[in-house]
Amino acid sequence: MSVLSNKIGKSYVMTSALISAAVVLLISITLLINSWDAITNVGWGLFSFNWNPSTQEFGILPMIYGTIAVTLIALVIAVPLGIFTAIFTSEILPTKYRLSIKSILELLAGIPSIIYGLIGIAFFSIWVQDIFDLQSGRTILTAGILLGIMILPTVITLTDDALQNVPSSYREASKGLGLYKYEVIKNSILPIAKSDIIGAILLAFGRALGETMAVMLVIGSIDKIPDSIFNWLNPGQTITSKLGREIAESSYGSTHFSTMIFMGLILFVFVLLLTFFAQKKLSHSNRLYE
Amino acid sequence: MHKRNFHTQIDFMNRQVYNKIFTGTSIIAVILCCIILFFLLGVIFWNGFSAISFDFIFSPSSNFGAEGGIIYQIAGSLLLVLVSGLISFPIALGAAIFKSEYIKSKRWSKISSMLIYGLNAIPSVIYGIFGLIFFVNFLGTGISWFVGSIILAIMILPTIIFSAYQSINSVPTSFRESSLALGFTKWQMIYKVLLPQGINGAITGLLIGLARAIGETAPIMFIATAFSGVELPGSLLEPVASLPTHILALAQQATNTDALENAWGASLILILLVISFSLSALFLRLKTKKH
Amino acid sequence: MKYKIYFFAAFILLFIQACDQQESITISGSTTVLPIISRAAEVFNESESNFNIIVNAGGSGVGINQLGEGKIDIGMTSRDLKKEEIKSYPEVEFNTISIGKDAVVPVVSSEIYNAGLTTLSLNQIAKIYNGEIGNWKELGGPDKEILCIDKEQSRGTRHVFMKIVMGDKEAETPGADLVMGSNNEEQTAIVQSDAAIGMLSNAWLSEDVKGLNIKLDNGTVISPNLQAISNGKFPITRDLFILTNGTPKGNVKAFIDFLLSPEGQEIVEKSGYVRIK
Repeated sequence: MSVLSNKIGKSYVMTSALISAAVVLLISITLLINSWDAITNVGWGLFSFNWNPSTQEFGILPMIYGTIAVTLIALVIAVPLGIFTAIFTSEILPTKYRLSIKSILELLAGIPSIIYGLIGIAFFSIWVQDIFDLQSGRTILTAGILLGIMILPTVITLTDDALQNVPSSYREASKGLGLYKYEVIKNSILPIAKSDIIGAILLAFGRALGETMAVMLVIGSIDKIPDSIFNWLNPGQTITSKLGREIAESSYGSTHFSTMIFMGLILFVFVLLLTFFAQKKLSHSNRLYE
Repeated sequence: MHKRNFHTQIDFMNRQVYNKIFTGTSIIAVILCCIILFFLLGVIFWNGFSAISFDFIFSPSSNFGAEGGIIYQIAGSLLLVLVSGLISFPIALGAAIFKSEYIKSKRWSKISSMLIYGLNAIPSVIYGIFGLIFFVNFLGTGISWFVGSIILAIMILPTIIFSAYQSINSVPTSFRESSLALGFTKWQMIYKVLLPQGINGAITGLLIGLARAIGETAPIMFIATAFSGVELPGSLLEPVASLPTHILALAQQATNTDALENAWGASLILILLVISFSLSALFLRLKTKKH
Repeated sequence: MKYKIYFFAAFILLFIQACDQQESITISGSTTVLPIISRAAEVFNESESNFNIIVNAGGSGVGINQLGEGKIDIGMTSRDLKKEEIKSYPEVEFNTISIGKDAVVPVVSSEIYNAGLTTLSLNQIAKIYNGEIGNWKELGGPDKEILCIDKEQSRGTRHVFMKIVMGDKEAETPGADLVMGSNNEEQTAIVQSDAAIGMLSNAWLSEDVKGLNIKLDNGTVISPNLQAISNGKFPITRDLFILTNGTPKGNVKAFIDFLLSPEGQEIVEKSGYVRIK
């Protein structure tokens, strides 16, 4: 009996583990097979500027540009804001308030992206439109700001973890030297926490790349690179917003469909690479971050 | 002598100024974050509360969501995530036990961790297109809520595995050794000693996963949901209505005040569902910590 | 152990539910046709309780694809099928049934309309979409840059509009500033701006989005109203179709018959379109 249960138990856990591993493999293979048509038929034509399925032009550069621009804006907003906030919660705020602040942050992280999208379309895009006196507030900048806010909790929580992981003996030793808090943080805490903070930024980067719904609603969805590449007050398109809008319209098996999947594959590979680098940087990776 | 004193004084003042600027910047950053937070929650709760009522929650939607309520959207969302939990839970628990008890080499342990991190990092829209290709087109299921549940189950798998793994791993090695010394087989030891711990962790992970899954739009919008006319699905292969896709449809008509009001109402309900899942997870975690 | 029993019970419940099949028709496609079908389905679901009609949006292209792939029973389109679309699904026998008539109306933000710009020729509209005209001033309107709003390429409204205005249903539009999807989304973008031009189905015109009168080559001005649509004077009109694979049978046929019945046609009219019977 016990031998049998041993066997059943073992095969249960083995199967479970296999299923979990197989899923990752299956997703990669599915994406690869379905992008094959685009890679062989469109080839280098993929890396051009024009997207028009009806004339068989499948240039994905506008989407890649949009993805990079939006993510960059998001990081420029979220990284400094997040790191300073984390320094406050970890180093300045009395310990007894930390838990409640962190719970509120997790609450912020839990807001579904579609609701960010709704807020973006009902408020942010209108503000951007009014402030910059634009014809339309659906711009790369709007999407970037929204994304920046969305990844803020990731940056704060992970940076806070990183700072907390620095042994308090460092703080005390530096304090003993009569250094100001600023000097303690700059000279002894940040250098130790640096690697973890870089890991945090990379994870936030990965998350920003893959965000779909909020971006899709506010970016304006035009497959064009603005005349000046830093003119972020123009509408644009990201890989994710393109997928969200067009995947259902392209018929399964067509080159159009395959090109869409190819963009998905690029995103997939890039996000995985970022995650692996991030995990290498994170010394105390005892949490999963979504 | 006099000069050096002067310099140290300047130096001292500079240091003080830097320190003040630094502290000031942190405080400004925190205030900014708080403003953002209160704005977001304020907007959702303020607009949401004025939109919801008993009738809104418990009646079906009509006129493209601009009128009526969201009962089938709530039911559909709950059905999607609860079934995804049912699918994911046993697999995740098994995988966590495997990772903790059967993987011996450090190298494989690292590889398995990387797989979990990888699975966790995959953008949700990629899950959506994977579901579209593999299930809806390749297996020919068509648009089906059950496929949506499978995809959400895959998505929350890493969260549950990780949480279960951590609590199994936290069982001291001496427990394992002593029960094996008592003549338990390995599986008996797992079943009696580790599984109860693992289940606790897995449930925490499950609740966190559900909180994430119920708010997701991109994974289900191509494969599992329909716009109107759906009540409860009659079979595994039918679409359902869901809260996130409902909000998506309403957000696209944001200048129609009725539609927008219903979008806020649906958002508030969705947030409350997310919060109730996360709070249960938090509660459970605190409770197990106490024991 | 307790948990396992719960799981088991839940699964059993699910399968019992799955076996208790209610018949349903799934419909998907054009957001222009959607209001008719959605209202008709609400009425029909009430009177015929033995089956259920599920309606989804996505655009004409989505309706055609999903019917071709066998995912739905009825597709909704507001345009003709493209040759490539018919070719991609050789085993599917597309059967189009017209259920109503609609106009695609060039629309502008109310601010522009109220400033006196109420009429444009097709050629002028084409110039806006081509990027040759960028300011309302050039057309006699206020001194404001034009926000030119396009639609996703496979959308029926765009096909019909581009075919008449630009001469090619899949024309490229260098002048476009935004690309929107559904009629709702396009309408929202126009309302949110004070200097936008876009294209909308006649049923989406409102106080905030004004339909332009169109000046024909011979000088006559046609305004977008139901009469001009039904007698064919308005230049950009189209049929609203539903698509089936082969001749409709059973429940599908019953629903289509309902759409073509006087009661169904009344719904077409109530939705802001022109009845065909």
